[in-house]
Amino acid sequence: MRPVPDRDSAAWWEAVRRHELTVQVCDDCGTPRFPARAVCHRCRSFAWSWRPAAGTGRVVSWVVTHQVFAPAFAGAVPYTVVLVRLDDAEDCLMHGGFTGTPSADLPVRARFDDVGDDLTLVNWVPA
Amino acid sequence: MSAPGFRDRTAVAGVGYTPFSKNSGVSTLTLAARAVLAALEDAGLGPDDVDGLATHRVGDSAAPWLVASALGIREPSWYLDQFGGGSVSHSVVGQAALAVASGIARTVVCYRAINARSEFRMGGTGRAVPVSPEVQYQAPYGFFAPPQQYAMYARAHMLKYGTKEEHFGRLAVTQRANAVKNPRALMRDPITLDDYLSSRWIAEPFRLLDCCLETDGACALVVTTAERARDLRQPAVTISAAAWGGGDSFLSGGRADVTVTAAAELAPRLYAMAGVRPRDIDVAQIYDCFTYSVIVQLEDYGFCGKGEGGPFVADGHTSLDGDLPVNTHGGFLSEGYVHGINHIAEAVSQLRGQAGDRQVPGAEVALSTAQPGYILPATSALILRADR
Ligand SMILES: [Zn+2]
Repeated sequence: MRPVPDRDSAAWWEAVRRHELTVQVCDDCGTPRFPARAVCHRCRSFAWSWRPAAGTGRVVSWVVTHQVFAPAFAGAVPYTVVLVRLDDAEDCLMHGGFTGTPSADLPVRARFDDVGDDLTLVNWVPA
Repeated sequence: MSAPGFRDRTAVAGVGYTPFSKNSGVSTLTLAARAVLAALEDAGLGPDDVDGLATHRVGDSAAPWLVASALGIREPSWYLDQFGGGSVSHSVVGQAALAVASGIARTVVCYRAINARSEFRMGGTGRAVPVSPEVQYQAPYGFFAPPQQYAMYARAHMLKYGTKEEHFGRLAVTQRANAVKNPRALMRDPITLDDYLSSRWIAEPFRLLDCCLETDGACALVVTTAERARDLRQPAVTISAAAWGGGDSFLSGGRADVTVTAAAELAPRLYAMAGVRPRDIDVAQIYDCFTYSVIVQLEDYGFCGKGEGGPFVADGHTSLDGDLPVNTHGGFLSEGYVHGINHIAEAVSQLRGQAGDRQVPGAEVALSTAQPGYILPATSALILRADR
């Protein structure tokens, strides 16, 4: 199932395509945010920069999906999706695929998987 | 915070249902029309008395102006076509109450009509993935269905507080026992904890019996002034408080503790508006799209300490004979899932003393709650009171 980037997130997906994990950071107060959007929820500034993220984090939770919720994933079940809290942007959580069985607070790092000619996804592996 | 100008000025004067099923065989417009007429009949009113209609939907149901034209309601002076799912289910009634309290409308019918099993499944397959900016970061991983999203937060709660699968199971078993006493419920065979533990995985840690029943059906409520409701056919049930709020993302924005919901912020406002405390609540209908949803809300609405929701349920507090009977109709897990409104309808039945074998004796104050803010990051809730 392809992501549908919007005008706020297109640059984030382009960075992922280059195998770079970025986080949007407010130019005025430094607060990181994710998902991408044009305004800072803390100081309401519209000035921001894309900051390279370390690409490491900790597992907050995970789900093992057994039910086929869409035909595209019929051959994939059971599969695991983790929720990761980034080490260098504590308030930012990201989803991604994971192979094997995670555990609470497991240190992980981002892995960039090219899944097609024009699409890269961020998955997570033990750090 | 408090709203003495709002408290108990409006009332729910009528309740109507269609049957619940896996395949209604009719359009959502037909379901809506039948439920609206049933609610009016219950109140002792008719379509000519209606000057407002309110609903919520996610592109899956009949708009108020369609229902108005279908029923020959010629000039609604107020209507609400709220975008949203379970999170806004209770705000629809709250906004109808505001319209009535302000005098803009006199008789508003709130309804929700869905063919959530036969036409438009919340759990995917046959419907487009919902449009939300956050979906793009999850759907590519096969992660977009409500049971997956809730399961992620349920496991986080298990990891942080030691909540156990048996706690989820006790909740499912307790609610099924209530449904056995509810002729309207879709699932009326009792279940055991073993039945729960042997039901198949859907999205671990959720099993089949953690999930609500995708249902075809409709339910409607008549909202009018408390004064007028006292002169109508049924015992009046007043709206003591209506609150809605939230809006932050769980993925960032200062709300990144995924074990606390928007209900924790809304609850103090709601209780203050009604002038009650959690211990004053006699019966609670708590949004149960999944078992975990009830456990986290028991905490966030202040019925037990943070992290204690699982043991609270397992100890029997939420049973029909417990000190806080919860989801007395069986809830969405066992009665059926009309996206929130059937919780309000059950609260009204309890406060009227019309809940039959599942009646909570002497119930005077009821809480009814919406999806607590995990999927659409907002929630809503009502406190209702028996007018006697
Ligand atoms: Zn800022």
